Parts: sequence; C-alpha cells; structure tokens
Amino acid sequence: MSAVTVDHSTDLRFAGMVASAICGRGMRRIVARPTLIMPVLLMPLIFVVSFTGAFGSLTRVEGYGTDNVFNWMAVYAAMQGAVFAGVGGASTTAEDIENGFFDRLLLTPGSRVPILVGTMAYSALRSTIPTTGVLLVSALGGLRLPGGPLALVTVYVATAGMASAFCLLGLAVVYRFRTMRSMILIQVCGFSLMFLSTGQVPIHFMNGWLHTVARVNPVTNVLRFARQGFLGDLTWSMTWPGLVALGAMVAVAGSLAAHQLRRLAA
Amino acid sequence: MFPLLLAAVYTHQFTRVILLPGFPAVDSFLDFVLPASLVQSVSFGATEAGTELARDIENGFFDRLRASPCMRLPLLLGRLGGAVVVAAVKGVLIIAIFLLFGAEIAGGPAAAVVLVVAAVLLVIAIGGLGQMLAIFTGSQEAVNATFPLVFTSIFMSSAFFPTNLMSGWFREVAEANPVTWIIDPVRRLILEGWSWADVGQALVVPLVISVATVTMAVVALNRKLSSS
Repeated sequence: MSAVTVDHSTDLRFAGMVASAICGRGMRRIVARPTLIMPVLLMPLIFVVSFTGAFGSLTRVEGYGTDNVFNWMAVYAAMQGAVFAGVGGASTTAEDIENGFFDRLLLTPGSRVPILVGTMAYSALRSTIPTTGVLLVSALGGLRLPGGPLALVTVYVATAGMASAFCLLGLAVVYRFRTMRSMILIQVCGFSLMFLSTGQVPIHFMNGWLHTVARVNPVTNVLRFARQGFLGDLTWSMTWPGLVALGAMVAVAGSLAAHQLRRLAA
Repeated sequence: MFPLLLAAVYTHQFTRVILLPGFPAVDSFLDFVLPASLVQSVSFGATEAGTELARDIENGFFDRLRASPCMRLPLLLGRLGGAVVVAAVKGVLIIAIFLLFGAEIAGGPAAAVVLVVAAVLLVIAIGGLGQMLAIFTGSQEAVNATFPLVFTSIFMSSAFFPTNLMSGWFREVAEANPVTWIIDPVRRLILEGWSWADVGQALVVPLVISVATVTMAVVALNRKLSSS
C-alpha cells in the first residue's frame, strides 16, 4: 500500500480554508453562547455613556476641540470595544488550549499561520459589533459627522486594526502561558495604552510625562486617524500616521504570536 | 498598578478641570482621586474569586469538591477570604503611595483605616457577585467580563468627577449608584476631615451589599446543587 503525500504548506487555498474555518468557528461560538458577546457589546456602550456622562463638562474647558462630548468619546469607546474584541478572540484560544481542542488543531498539516490569521479575522469581525453599537448609541446622544460618511469608514478600519493587534498580542501571551488568566495581562496592557493616549482629552490638556508618553503612543495616532471625521474634514496628514501605527502594531504583535506558536507547536 | 496609573494620568490630564466652577476645592486632582483609585484597585482583584470558581467548574474540580462531605458555604467563603487579605494589603499600599506623592488625608490615620475597611467590604460584595456569575455560567470568560463591568460602575459614579458637574439622567444614575454612596463619604474624610456620619455611611453601604451578593451566591449554589 503506497502512501499519498500532499504538500499543504504551499497550498494557499487550504490555508484559506483553515483560516476561514477557525474564524467561522469563532462566530458560530458567539451564536451558540450569546453571553460571550454581551460583554463585548455592552462594555463599550457603557463606556461611551459613562465617559460622556461623567466628563461632559470637559467641553466647557477652553480648547477641548468640540462642543459635543460624543464626538470626542465615541471613537475612544469604540476603540476600547475593539481591544475587548481582540482579547476575547485570544480568550477563545485560551479556552481551546485548556480544554484540549487546540492540541487537535495543531495536528492540522501545513503552516501555522492560518491559525493566527483565522483567529485575528474572527477578532476583527467581532469588533464590528461593539463599534456599530457605540456609533448607534452615540447617534442617539447627538453624534455629528462633519467629515461625512467616510468618518465611519475610518472608525471601522481603526477598530478592526486594533482588535487584530490585541488579538495577536493576546495569542502571544496565551501561547506562552496557556491559561485564560493570562488574558488579564493584555486587558491591562490595552487599557493602559488607551489611557496613555488622547482618548479623553486633547494632547495640549496634558502636562509633564503624560504629554510626552501620549505623543509617542501609537494609539494616539490611531485615535487621530479614527476621530478626524468627527471633528472636521478628513485629511491625508491625519490618516497615514494612523495607518502606519496600526500596521506596525499588527506586525509586531503578529511576530510575537507566530514566535510563541512555533514554540508551542515544537 | 492600573489604578495608580489611572490616577497619575488623570492628575496630569485634568489640571485644567479642577479650575471649573463647582469642582471641590483641592490643591491637586490627586487628593480628589484617592478614593477612586483605592476602590478600583481592590475591585479588580475581587473578580478573581469568581474566575477561580468558574475554572474549577469548567475543569470538573468543583464536581469533586461538592461530592466531598463538607458544608457548601466554605467553598465560596474560602476564596473570598483570600481576596479580602489581598484587598487589605492593596489598600494600605495605595494609601501609602498616594501619601508619598503628596496626597493629604484631612481625617488623619483613623480615616485611612476606614478607607481600607470600606474597600475590603466592597471586595466581598464584588467577589460574591463574581461567584454568583460563575455558578450561573460556569465560564471563566463570562466572569472575566465583570472586570470591565466593575470598572464602568466606578466610572458611572462620583469616582472621577463630582456629580454636581454632571447633567441629565447620567447625574441621577451617578447619584443613585452605590459606589457614589461609598466614595462620597470617603472623599469627605479625605478632603474635609473626620465625621462619624461619613464613617457610618462609608462602612454600612458596602456591608449591606456584601451580605446581599454573598447570600445570592449561596442561593445560586444551592439551586445548582439541587438541580443536578
């Protein structure tokens, strides 16, 4: 009896099937267990409500940039939701590792990259849920679109990118520590990066070390890119730094995740 | 670390905000934000009791525990006990760090003790909630979701902004939020000085909530056991 060998490593179609199967499994999991998506949807909604409610008086401080606090905070809340979506995607893998499913997934022949891509795509897709929720609630609160419909496109691009980056970062940690508990590291990391940016106030409101940190924080550029259409017209000078920051975060987090996955699979 | 980071961030980004008419008279936002940081710090760890319980349910260890001939209540209280000790240590550390960076407690050392006790009671309240969620869902991810929930309930209170500078329905929610009922008297102890009325409010409110959530967790456990 002769064995038939198939080299799947060069088979892009097969890789695509694996990635889409992983992504689809994640989405089906949400349908099967709606309790999992509720926090991802509800938390950013509560964020936008609480930030606009608690810090509404900020618009009374001269130089805030807008007289409508929803126009400032909506994007920030959507980005927080994207971080949750990304961490949630990685949490799915943590659960798979703990219950043994991931060991079976590693038996899949060929490259491991589709495992990363599939989980990342699941997170990016998952991020559209909180983003849409935040925008709808903000619209009810009086959100305006001075930049036109393109303002919405920038938010969806930014949140999908953030979810991808944090999913990959979460995967790097999960592959390393192999527990759900390790996800708290990424949650804290995500929150910290968001808070050390221009999430709640413009950069000229900050002083001391915070001003310096926010200026070099890549999230500041992503927020500038995503928020521009809510404060005025879209410009290329506000767009490209955000896209570069997103690309860099995905690349760095992806490299870390790929490295840890190789170690795990070895 | 995160609550300390948040306090540091807010102190540096809200320097113009403390000049708003209606904001309490403070030298720095650091004094204003101390109770918020304390509550945040201990609350984050509080969800651990629920997460650990959910993990035990997921991996089957809890089934073996329930088969053992012991009372059910210690299964829940044991984990809360650990969270209480951690919360007390965290509370002392947070206050010490704030004092180191120039914060002042007008109510003196006794007020600092009240702060820590109130924080510990709050941990029991949140821990009970996490355990109830763990029993209902049996999912670590679902229990982990209480982390942002707790985080947000702190934001929908007077923790980071005085309620008199809020408006509309949000102000009403913030004023009705039990976290505000804990934060406000604690903040008065820090900014204005010792008051028995404030001490009473700071301790009784979290105590009542603790009793309620732990009771609900025990009821949920009993229902789970009787249905299986």
